[in-house]
Amino acid sequence: MRKIFLSIALSLMFTTSAFAGLNVLATLPWIGSAAKEIGKDKVNVTVLAKPSQDAHFLEAKPSMILAARKADIIMYDGLDLEIGYLPLVIESSKNPKLMPGKPGNLDCSQFITVLEKPTTVDRSMGDVHPLGNPHYHFSPSRVLRVAEGITRLLADADKSNASYYEANYKAFAERLHEKEKQWHAVQLQGKKYIAYHKYFEYLADEFGFRFIGYLEPKPGIPPSAGHIEGLIETMKKEKPTAILVTPAYGMQAAESLSAKTGVKVIVLPHDVGSMDNTGDLISFWDKINTLLK
Amino acid sequence: MKIISFSSMLMLVFGFCTATAFAQDQNERLNMLEESDKSQQRTIEQQQKTIDALKTQVNQNQSPSTATPVSPSQKASGLFGGSAFTNPNLSIVLDAFGYSSNLTNDAMANRGIPGFTTQGLDQRQGLTVDSAELFFFSPVDPYLNFYANLPVTDAGIEIEEAYVVTTALPEGWQIKGGKFKSNFSRLDSQHPHAWDFWDIALPYRAFLGGEGLGGEKGVQLTYLPALPIYTIFGAEVLQGENDLLFGQGAEEGPHAFTFFVKSSVDISDYSTLYFGPSVLFGKTDNTNILPGAEVRGNSALYGLEAVWKWKPTSRQALTIQSEYLLLTQSGTVTDTATGISDPLKRKQDGFYIQGIYRVNRWGIGARYDTINVFSDTFKQADVQTDYGKPRRVTASLEYNPSEFTRIRLQVSHDRSDTVTGRTNDEAILQFNFTVGAHPAHSF
Repeated sequence: MRKIFLSIALSLMFTTSAFAGLNVLATLPWIGSAAKEIGKDKVNVTVLAKPSQDAHFLEAKPSMILAARKADIIMYDGLDLEIGYLPLVIESSKNPKLMPGKPGNLDCSQFITVLEKPTTVDRSMGDVHPLGNPHYHFSPSRVLRVAEGITRLLADADKSNASYYEANYKAFAERLHEKEKQWHAVQLQGKKYIAYHKYFEYLADEFGFRFIGYLEPKPGIPPSAGHIEGLIETMKKEKPTAILVTPAYGMQAAESLSAKTGVKVIVLPHDVGSMDNTGDLISFWDKINTLLK
Repeated sequence: MKIISFSSMLMLVFGFCTATAFAQDQNERLNMLEESDKSQQRTIEQQQKTIDALKTQVNQNQSPSTATPVSPSQKASGLFGGSAFTNPNLSIVLDAFGYSSNLTNDAMANRGIPGFTTQGLDQRQGLTVDSAELFFFSPVDPYLNFYANLPVTDAGIEIEEAYVVTTALPEGWQIKGGKFKSNFSRLDSQHPHAWDFWDIALPYRAFLGGEGLGGEKGVQLTYLPALPIYTIFGAEVLQGENDLLFGQGAEEGPHAFTFFVKSSVDISDYSTLYFGPSVLFGKTDNTNILPGAEVRGNSALYGLEAVWKWKPTSRQALTIQSEYLLLTQSGTVTDTATGISDPLKRKQDGFYIQGIYRVNRWGIGARYDTINVFSDTFKQADVQTDYGKPRRVTASLEYNPSEFTRIRLQVSHDRSDTVTGRTNDEAILQFNFTVGAHPAHSF
């Protein structure tokens, strides 16, 4: 009995110190992927959301709290996207390193220029994000700035490997710039699209296309029959190229609208790993670019 | 004519003046221009040097740490990058309902659970606005967070909860102090508006009262070790003011204590199991267990909870939840009229199981609760009284137009009054509204 107790006590002591590198906890797959690009084998990255899950519908689970308990750094999208579970996860983790204001608490949105920040907001407008559109991971240039912020944080937290992280950042930036030339060669300027949710505003911002309507009348509110009728009218007039949707959010409604209007549906991945060949950030943007061609 | 000559004179004079001034100035100005041209040349040369130096620096070391700050959206953000909505965190939850039963208001007020509680149902037929609950949250300083839950009712404002929690203790330790809801069992730790049904489960009503243990004054210590599976250990010292299990005057100091362990594992990506044992024990002294009698003694309530949640898609979830409670109580029962005391021994248990399935905006639920399941010992002066098996079935249907509104229809068939045998068939239409930044509910 005493032996068992001793071995449990010993294993308890060593579970915390067994990992060599920094333990990074990312809320979303793309953030995990960015941390991995910079940290490579010097960090252990855990991601809270599964690639198949939509970021809007996550709920706090005890396993998330445990992951936060073991983390040195938490990285999140911010702009209230994680407001439904992250405050609770951080608070319940009883991990002082992750508390707001500590270096281990990284709000990635601090590095980017936010789109669609409303001047007035209340909940009669639906579940609108009061700090602006949080889906900025569709913008490679913005994610590069986030990667830069992550690099500085990792270099600060783990000074002995600072030059390693900086070199990884440089390599990532170079690979991205190469790819960006390819992506911008695809002519999307001026094209018109319909989307289910206000998901792709940063993509449109980056590549110069625009949205003429959304299936959701207000963010988070499912489409009503009346709203769809109005949308069909707009589509007849404006003739959009396609309806953009993600696999986990609004597929059925998009397909039914497509059947009514003859406008094709393009299913875009909502995050890294949510479709085939989207295993890291660059292949994720590559996939989107190929699908929009 | 006069006017013309005057004006031409004026022009002449003016022209002369400017001409002489111009001539005087010219040399000076030329010198100045040359001078400024030279100085500009120097500035340009200097700037060119700086640019070259910067260029070489950049080429040498293209590291992001030397780059200029890249925060175009630097903003005074609140908690977790939150908005003005979320710091300080303030919200109001309004609970309103319509109630209908086959019993009269008087019959309900006298409807206890024989052998468990004499406290009646605090319900009236018709429309009720139960409370508007105010929630506050804010960090106090880098070491403490503050929470408060202040229900405003017809009777005034209450302090249901007001406590601080440490945020800076290392290694998974946390201390909570103030008036708070105990984490002893599941329904007790949740706010009533977060329950899957309108009212509390029957075993809770039998052992702790219609509102459960409720907010208790005390201190809680919890420890979350970095184990391979989520396991939290906790202990609480409470004042023990619950007037069914304990009683304000049972002892002058704190006289209720809890220990609990909760574990959780993700069975798959889509399902999670949460379970754990707990115990709540202390000194009892109240007059709410038997009619016209005061019970004094020691009580212990053992609990076991299990929750299984299956969430195959983002808009679909099934939650099955069950708890078992076992009460042991030993002491004396004193007739308040005659003053005669008898020894009392109780060992009674109860459990409930409930399931709720939610898809898109709809939810459908069912619950079965019963007491005196495996043990129904109620011995007064060594004589057993048989109180039967109080039980109840409940069904519910809910519609959630948004995250912030819940409309729930609940019907129940209650056979907890085993002495008269009268059933209580209830129907409740409940409306729940949340405004503000209500914190996320725990699992």
